[in-house]
Amino acid sequence: MSFDGHPSAGPSGAAPLAEQPLLEAVGLSVRFPMPKKSPFADRDYLHAVRGVNFKVHAGRTLGVVGESGSGKTTTAMAAVRLTEAYDGAVMFEGRDVLKMGPEALRKQRRDMQVIFQDPYSSLNPRDRVGAIVREPLDLMDVGERKDRADRVKELFSLVGLRPDQMALFPHQFSGGQRQRISIARALATNPKLIVCDEPVSALDVAIQAQVLNLLRRLQDQFGLSYLFISHDLGVVQFICDDIAVMYLGEIVEYADRPTLFAAPRHPYTAALLDAAPSLARRKSAGYSRAGAVKGDPPSPMNLPKGCAFAGRCPRAQPRCKDEKPMLRPLEGAKVACHFPLEG
Amino acid sequence: MDPLLSVRDLKVEFDTRHGRVTALAGISLDVMPGETLGIVGESGCGKSITALAMMGLIPNPPGHLTDGQIVFEGEDITRASPRRMRQLRGRDISMIFQEPMTSLNPVFTAGDQIAEAIMLHQDVSKKEAWEEAVELLRVVGIPEPRRRAASYPHEMSGGMRQRVMIAMAISCRPKVLIADEPTTALDVTVQAQIFDLMRDIQEKFGVAIVMITHDMGAIAEMADRVAVMYAGRVIEQGRADDILDDPRHPYTSGLIGCIPALGREAASAERLPPLAEIPGVVPPLHLLGAGCAFADRCPLVHDRCRRERPPLAPHGMAAQEFLGGHAVACHAAEREIAA
Ligand SMILES: Nc1ncnc2c1ncn2[C@@H]1O[C@H](COP(=O)(O)OP(=O)(O)OP(=O)(O)O)[C@@H](O)[C@H]1O
Ligand SMILES: Nc1ncnc2c1ncn2[C@@H]1O[C@H](COP(=O)(O)OP(=O)(O)OP(=O)(O)O)[C@@H](O)[C@H]1O
Ligand code: SF4
Ligand SMILES: [Mg+2]
Ligand SMILES: [Mg+2]
Repeated sequence: MSFDGHPSAGPSGAAPLAEQPLLEAVGLSVRFPMPKKSPFADRDYLHAVRGVNFKVHAGRTLGVVGESGSGKTTTAMAAVRLTEAYDGAVMFEGRDVLKMGPEALRKQRRDMQVIFQDPYSSLNPRDRVGAIVREPLDLMDVGERKDRADRVKELFSLVGLRPDQMALFPHQFSGGQRQRISIARALATNPKLIVCDEPVSALDVAIQAQVLNLLRRLQDQFGLSYLFISHDLGVVQFICDDIAVMYLGEIVEYADRPTLFAAPRHPYTAALLDAAPSLARRKSAGYSRAGAVKGDPPSPMNLPKGCAFAGRCPRAQPRCKDEKPMLRPLEGAKVACHFPLEG
Repeated sequence: MDPLLSVRDLKVEFDTRHGRVTALAGISLDVMPGETLGIVGESGCGKSITALAMMGLIPNPPGHLTDGQIVFEGEDITRASPRRMRQLRGRDISMIFQEPMTSLNPVFTAGDQIAEAIMLHQDVSKKEAWEEAVELLRVVGIPEPRRRAASYPHEMSGGMRQRVMIAMAISCRPKVLIADEPTTALDVTVQAQIFDLMRDIQEKFGVAIVMITHDMGAIAEMADRVAVMYAGRVIEQGRADDILDDPRHPYTSGLIGCIPALGREAASAERLPPLAEIPGVVPPLHLLGAGCAFADRCPLVHDRCRRERPPLAPHGMAAQEFLGGHAVACHAAEREIAA
């Protein structure tokens, strides 16, 4: 097994769209059983992800954005089979990850790795960080022992850590450095896809910038694909090529970056953009939030019949409460709304 | 106009396993009546300790307020008795925290807790206090306030709990409201609602707000003036527009530069350029030397910066004069201004 990189993206911009996506989710659904109210009652389910479709293309980044509880993490974890889906398919280079047997899945894991949000809890405090980064190589029997040690050294330099730090423990590093360790670990097996679940949310903005730049450099160098989860639209606009906006377990808008940010079509996307604090909106100038939404998201246990956003939507009409809007194409985007915004 | 609350050369130290560590190394701030002062900076720079000091709530041990004054309406409250401090707290100066769940009592209803806060400082009956609580819940935008007054904190969403906290904090019409990262635990659409509410309340009651945040965007929206903190010091202070449009300290401009651009203006088909970076990390407080704490990360560093700490005011200017204007603690910025 060699550690050679995948063909890298062009020097400027994201990789061009290939015919076949690297990963494609079709009708992906996840539900969690709720505790029974009585031994004789039917079991209730929380439908965390409800039939989502998306594609991650080689060398590109798909962003998943939405508020807390919208199902971002569950979607991503189901796509790499760290959470069990109950319906749908996830095709990775044409093969359904959800149907793989244990051995095939173990091999597949070399190609799909994960970086988690919390750089404090995602690293075992009792292991030296060199061993943490080497672990995926050991688990997946990649390379000879000696090569693995060299590979770990190489990974440390790749993510901007010094090889002499390999013998230290996680608590001896700052939050940003710990996230670099997580990134090195994810890169170890030379994967094609890395799921990044809020990788910079716990970091201060100065450290966040360092880590985001690093992730993009690595993407260019190795032709990586990212499935990138964030609730921060600025971060998403910086790093993502395509974006799926989730609300209560469903994708409500799906578009490439320039299309989405030039003209959000779903009222929820517009509300997210409107709500995000911006340096341009000054107290001194006085400002108003035209599209401000009211209230909180409804409970996933108690889904409305029509549009899930209807209760908070400034554009809602009677039809929205009765009839569920389907995700359908609209001028280069896909939008699930009866009354989408003008482009 | 005189400041409502003035912090002068405030120094706070903590006993830690590294010995005595200086968390606040002599900071000065002014809060004017009815304005919002934003305090911004990275994790660990001393924002919360500053807020706790204004409330007389520095935990002791391990904390020690070793020097400086906090003057509220002419009275140095660092010297106030515990009894006097309890009187001021909640009535004249009140505070809301990041996670409302930890500061609300889970076994009492929202209405009970607000009524309790009212009765602590005002001579009213239980019934009057309850009616006032319901009215406050209406003011902070809680639907069906009479029904909600009888709800427990766990029956509410995070946004609603923060509204209850705000209702409680303004129940005695304080002159200063300190908000320590009041929206960090909330979703962005709910954060926007809370920001709108805080501005409404300021307009309605004229309360001065000290808004603590690590988010420059929140500063832009909320603050009239800003203090930027780094490693236990205020390194730049001035009107929000001046700081955001014309930052003088290399740390402030670095912080602004590393925020990803958002929205239509940045919606190019081209990939966005790499973010500006501030190299390195904030040094641990117990390892700070004699010079500028930012020296090791600064693009403009020169010898003097490592030897000599830059003061916040240009030399020879009194605190009163500079605090109204734009003050910077940086040798390079000072040279530039002098030139
Ligand atoms: N293991 C689980 N058991 C039961 N419910 C779960 C489980 N994991 C997630 N959920 C529920 O599924 C829904 C989606 O959760 P998920 O963590 O995917 O959201 P998210 O968008 O990642 O949110 P956040 O921004 O807070 O991370 C939520 O209602 C959550 O409470
Ligand atoms: N009880 C304590 N014991 C020892 N050190 C403390 C204690 N409380 C705070 N400190 C130290 O004081 C410094 C300032 O802490 P403070 O909580 O004010 O930071 P902050 O700016 O509010 O950070 P954050 O953005 O993370 O809330 C930190 O270095 C912290 O480690
Ligand atoms: S379908 Fe109706 S309620 Fe839903 S987002 Fe569109 S306009 Fe709003
Ligand atoms: Mg999540
Ligand atoms: Mg704090």
